Amino acid sequence: MVKRDTAVYSRQAKFVRGLLFVFMLVVALLTLYPIIYVFFGSFKENKELLVGGVNIFPETFVIQNYIDAWEQADFATYTKNSLFLGITIMLFSLILSSMAGYVFARKKFRGKELIYGLFVAFMFINVGSVSLRPLFELAIGLHMNTSLWSVVLISAGGGQATSIFLVRGYMNTIPKELDEAAKIDGCTFFQTFYMILLPVLKPILATVALLSFRGGWNEYILPLVFTMTTPEQRPLTVGVNMLKNAGDGAAAWNIMFAGATIAIVPMLLIYICSSRYFIEGLTAGAVKG
Amino acid sequence: MSAQSKTAVSPTRKRSLKQKIARVRAEGGFAAALMLAPSVFLLLVTSVYPFLWVFRYVAYDYNGMTSYYVGAHNFTRMLQDATFWESVLHTFEYAALKVVFIIPLALIMAVLMSRKIMGSGIFRGIYFMPTIISAAVSSMVFTFIFAAYNGVLNAVLRAAGLISQNINWLGDENVAMWSVIIVAIWGGFGNYMIYFMSGMSSISNDVYESARIDGANGMQIFWKITLPMLSPMLKIILMLAITGAFKDYESIMVLTQGGPNNRTQVMFLYIYQLIFGTNVKNPQIGYGTVLSLMAAVIVGAVTGIYLLLARKLDDVM
Repeated sequence: MVKRDTAVYSRQAKFVRGLLFVFMLVVALLTLYPIIYVFFGSFKENKELLVGGVNIFPETFVIQNYIDAWEQADFATYTKNSLFLGITIMLFSLILSSMAGYVFARKKFRGKELIYGLFVAFMFINVGSVSLRPLFELAIGLHMNTSLWSVVLISAGGGQATSIFLVRGYMNTIPKELDEAAKIDGCTFFQTFYMILLPVLKPILATVALLSFRGGWNEYILPLVFTMTTPEQRPLTVGVNMLKNAGDGAAAWNIMFAGATIAIVPMLLIYICSSRYFIEGLTAGAVKG
Repeated sequence: MSAQSKTAVSPTRKRSLKQKIARVRAEGGFAAALMLAPSVFLLLVTSVYPFLWVFRYVAYDYNGMTSYYVGAHNFTRMLQDATFWESVLHTFEYAALKVVFIIPLALIMAVLMSRKIMGSGIFRGIYFMPTIISAAVSSMVFTFIFAAYNGVLNAVLRAAGLISQNINWLGDENVAMWSVIIVAIWGGFGNYMIYFMSGMSSISNDVYESARIDGANGMQIFWKITLPMLSPMLKIILMLAITGAFKDYESIMVLTQGGPNNRTQVMFLYIYQLIFGTNVKNPQIGYGTVLSLMAAVIVGAVTGIYLLLARKLDDVM
């Protein structure tokens, strides 16, 4: 189809397409630049970083930045915490949204519209960061303020609405006959969900998993507030920025570059392997929302 | 309670209640309630409770330890707080600039993607990439790029002969807002591009083909077909972009912390600093709740006015 199209284009149209291609390429390079810059910068020696200059590639590749970041600057701990946040928030989101999405899509009960409306309303009601204060005090009351579990629960709770809508929307496209057949075969309400629908939901659950893992891995202000006094609980986003605010930050550019790369690259690799699910999730969410 | 007392009087009622319970169980009512409960519980704790909590300290001075009643003082203080109202202005400035640049750029890129020029799949993946990365980390990377003395942006501009003196991208009051906007555009245009693409994919191909047969060129097709047919979607995307821009503060927090001299201070960042900031000795939580409600009202009013204008435009067109 595309090939036949190009054959029909006149020379002028070809020229226009060429120009557009160059424009797209320039925008792509500008978009990629900060990522490339920090990736290759993380292999530069600190003195090269501090001098600056326009070179993208390091004069000499050094791996020492990563060793220093990992061993001296606690990035091993930060990475572990980021992984913990990403994975647990993902698991919570999967469990919460698949169950709630199923109930909202398949069960009729009094007050359903009201509860559903509450979920929608609190997607839009936003009083900003002030809402972290009562949650922080609540966590102190429950002796959870030094545990990352409170970050997990707040992040999963705050982000669950979108995932529920995604699951519910997808569930609505699955014929109800499937449930009925399962019921006739003797499945209970939960068994129908667990044995019949969950396997069918795999594509949308993959999207939910990716979006929520990204959410947990990239969470910043929430863990920042909850780890003010507990440096050993900090995830990468907080740890790397703390290093920058630590005053004589100029001395540690190399470690910050390595830290930023550690925070960026795993997410990027996941994205490269599964960009389709990310983009589908976004468009499905946009249409439903 | 009432059901119990009634069942004690009449045995027939008792049976019907038992039957009711049996029926609900057979239909999976209890299972459904159990499955929905965790989500509802977290919604109540993480969203509803904090929202109601905000009203509790509106009339109090509260530093996290002790609180005492101050009546309307928080409100009158807000009216006189020049920093707050400046931050409101900056929020409008930031949101307007961000939307004015990001929406046309996203639309242009979406249209280009739809033309299936060589490599558009890869380009789409690249444009969307910044939204995958933590805004806090990418903003930190930008502080290195923007650094006044050894930053790469100044180095490139000097090498190209475009500037003779280093620009203090984040420290100069005339430039800092633009730097913040650049990062916001970089981090967000791919997101809106995908929204536009999904809107455009619902426009039937037949419309384009018949327009082409009638001899319409690319520009005519865009203005006469794509844009009008996209307008319902465009309105939603614009609303998301505007409300989103009003709530941004994470990236600014990392880039400038509201500086220099409050030049990039936006309202939600100012509130954050009042409550959690390290540069204030006493957190001013009571005052922060009043400002938060004001900010929510401002965002709500902007959304309302936008929806009204969008409807008016519908009537005109």
